[in-house]
Amino acid sequence: MPYEALDFYDVDSLLTEEERMVRDMVRDFVDQDVIPNIEHACREGVFPDEWRVTLGEMGVLGAPLEGYGCPGLSYTAYGVICRELERGDSGLRSFASVQGSLAMYPIWDFGSEEQKQNYLPKMASGEWIGCFGLTEPDYGSNPGDMITKAEDMGDHYLLNGAKMWITNGTIAQLAVVWAKLDGVIRGFIVEKDDPGFSAPEMKGKHSLKASVTSELVFQDCKIPKDRILPGVKGLRGPFSCLNNARYGISWGAVGAAQACFDSAKEYSLSRIQFTHPIASYQLVQNKLAWMLREITKAQLLAYHLGQKKDAGTWIPEHISLAKMNNVDIALEIAREARDIHGANGILDEYCIMRHMANLESVKTYEGTHDIHNLIIGRHITGIQSFTREL
Amino acid sequence: MTIAVLLKQVPDTTAKITVSNGRVDENAVSKWSFSPYDEYALEAALQLKESMGGELVAITAGPARCEKLLRDAAAVGADNLVHISAENINDFDSTQMQKLLAAAVEKSGSSVVFCGKQAADTNSGSTGPGVAELIGASCITMVSEVISDSGGYLATRPSSSGHEKVAVSAPCVFAFDKGVVEMRRPNVRGIMMAKKKPIETWSIEELGLDLGTSGISIDSHSPPAEKPPGQKFEGADSVSTVVGKLRDEANVI
Amino acid sequence: MQCTVIAETVGDSLHPITSQLIGAASSLGASPIVVVPGGIGSEEAASIDGVSKVVSVVGDCFSTFDGGAWATALSPQCNGVIITGATSNGREVAARIAAKRGVPIIQDVTGLSDGITITRPIYSGKAVETTTVSGDCVITLRANAFDSAGSGGSAAVNVVDQSVDVSIAVKEAINKATERLDVSEADIIISGGRGIGQKENFSHLEEVADIIGAAVGASRAVVDEWGMPHSMQVGQTGKTVTPSLYIAVGISGAIQHLAGMRSSKYIVAINKDPEAPIFGVADYGIVATWEDAVPALKAALSSL
Repeated sequence: MPYEALDFYDVDSLLTEEERMVRDMVRDFVDQDVIPNIEHACREGVFPDEWRVTLGEMGVLGAPLEGYGCPGLSYTAYGVICRELERGDSGLRSFASVQGSLAMYPIWDFGSEEQKQNYLPKMASGEWIGCFGLTEPDYGSNPGDMITKAEDMGDHYLLNGAKMWITNGTIAQLAVVWAKLDGVIRGFIVEKDDPGFSAPEMKGKHSLKASVTSELVFQDCKIPKDRILPGVKGLRGPFSCLNNARYGISWGAVGAAQACFDSAKEYSLSRIQFTHPIASYQLVQNKLAWMLREITKAQLLAYHLGQKKDAGTWIPEHISLAKMNNVDIALEIAREARDIHGANGILDEYCIMRHMANLESVKTYEGTHDIHNLIIGRHITGIQSFTREL
Repeated sequence: MTIAVLLKQVPDTTAKITVSNGRVDENAVSKWSFSPYDEYALEAALQLKESMGGELVAITAGPARCEKLLRDAAAVGADNLVHISAENINDFDSTQMQKLLAAAVEKSGSSVVFCGKQAADTNSGSTGPGVAELIGASCITMVSEVISDSGGYLATRPSSSGHEKVAVSAPCVFAFDKGVVEMRRPNVRGIMMAKKKPIETWSIEELGLDLGTSGISIDSHSPPAEKPPGQKFEGADSVSTVVGKLRDEANVI
Repeated sequence: MQCTVIAETVGDSLHPITSQLIGAASSLGASPIVVVPGGIGSEEAASIDGVSKVVSVVGDCFSTFDGGAWATALSPQCNGVIITGATSNGREVAARIAAKRGVPIIQDVTGLSDGITITRPIYSGKAVETTTVSGDCVITLRANAFDSAGSGGSAAVNVVDQSVDVSIAVKEAINKATERLDVSEADIIISGGRGIGQKENFSHLEEVADIIGAAVGASRAVVDEWGMPHSMQVGQTGKTVTPSLYIAVGISGAIQHLAGMRSSKYIVAINKDPEAPIFGVADYGIVATWEDAVPALKAALSSL
């Protein structure tokens, strides 16, 4: 059956006509190009390069950025794009999140005029892929203690250290790398062929299999002086990128949840046990009703957050709540949907198990579920509880 | 040169059709789309325009919801948008619709017209040839491809032995079957331009028409007859019986 | 009631739909005039029961199909209620004639009764429209929806020479493409599953497909195990198809397969296991081995 997006409260009617046209465009791409090919991509463990090309042609990369070949859409439109992409696969949405929010955004916000003109147009078109190096093998939730450092060598910078869990790393032409220069976190643009830089792919994932995850290794990596991002110092740099990416995830998770709901509904109506479709049994209806309830709430959360982003009335804690909640319910919905599908739910004939495994990563990356709780806890109490050093 | 594309908004072919009070219930339609053959016509018209220059005007007739169709056409490259509007437009018969569309084609100054071979709601196939008759144009139906050729056009259509390329010159109407190229997907740039593009609304009066009264009255719409429950036959001897039923009961071969 | 039937021709004889059009006209109480484009099969038309007169319209214009030219040539010979076949040429000529004469047109009619009350499918058969038309009009009738008139008549044949300019010129004939339709766009699909034994046996399904212009599909089991192209796969991870007719041969009907084809308008299942779940969705189930049923299917379809 064709996909009919669950939208119980008709939340999409609140979108502008332009936002709905963007939605339909991306939805069509996902139906035509992504869903028929995603299982194969997962089995092969590759991100299909055609998707990069099409995302560029559609003009959705760096959606909310303006100028330098970027589309200048609303943050709400960016959210809708993430939702539709993640209905296909979280790996696909991750590609777009990293490219737009984590690689293009810091150049757009903190880069020099030359950097913007040099990099942004070819990243918006998809010609160049970007990645974002913050997390390190030993520093995940606690990036402030990162080890990677930059040294000013007079006519160039020298980078040393390693980053881990980097989406797009191996296929990227550039990396926005956060490293300490004289003890202060700064952003640097590292290009693929810079001497001393390598990006080996991390293999063996049971999650986000159609997405490339890499290490970034810097061994006396030499980069020109004009590659430092002049506009920001400290953790504010990477955190502003993460705010945008997390915002997109709060929408994206709704897409994954909608896909699982859609499949569970179809399956339960056609699967007959004890002479009746299992959809006619109360236990199954209870599960479906719960899914609809949580998806509807998540949609309202995402939409309202989008309005706040567009109005500039948001605070990072708003984003934490939406990211945490929406990924959480999407993962639970995937698990319930798997249950409704019975044994069939583990097959790649259905999207369920793939979404479930993907969402385990999404729950952890871009601020873990628990860290977002602590961010909100700090907001409520005024007391940070990340460390013991009170 | 101006190329006109006649577009119709119909319930998506995957949408459920429900009948209430003797009429198909438009409010129950979950999704409206381009009539599928119109999409091929639009794509072919865009390609013709790109190969030889000129302007492409997208024309639709119908209630206010149809403006979405024009925006979608603009997003993939239609230059001008025309909405023929009338209060009771859903009640017009094919003859009246053809008059409206023919008048709009003439007002737009188009000498080449693209449309689908039939709409996915009425499934008739009268519009293309009917409009051609009214504007004094040649018409080729069941077209899959059109290219410009020595001042005229070459259109591919089916023939008894496969396909044939036929030459025709303007004024002409091409009524499209499934074309060789699917309609392109829009991009964000196109969508943002489409938003700014004005839609011209033409009324019956502006088109200077007297549509008269329809000779056809719709008595009712009804759901299709329930299919009989599945029938099961034993043995290969029953194959000819089933084939007969497929032809006479099901009407599918 | 005055009524004109425009004959449909194929090659150098009448198309069988012609006697159905005449039968339908007779059922309305009319003794139709039959207008024959290009004069092909005029004598045959004259021998059909209920025909009052045959007008054989001849002229250069009938060597190429140009709906506009044909309508111009034929229209002067038509009167009253004009009936053609709802074929692609028939629909085009009908629409032209209706526009030329300024009379209503109703296409693809499947039921007619006095009045004239007309029924026809709309929304690709998802609804039925009933209309009443008064006065002169043009109606096109769907093939095989009306009983044929018998033979035994002996109407007079008048020959009219009508010269009309043709505005279309055939420049190049392209012979039938041999490539097979894709399952996602075919109106008829015949699919095979594990029950047909081995990959090579798909050739039998292909022969059936050639007769009726169908696409050939496959279940996931045989795509995976026999290395059939993924593009043929119908089902949950393959194509979701909604043809008018889906013929499942040797497919048991796993839920994943049903998900891809259960919305087909008509489903025929051929399976030797009477308990196969595919029979649960079939409109016409045939309990037989494919070895027996497929040759019979070939023979029956060839003789249509």
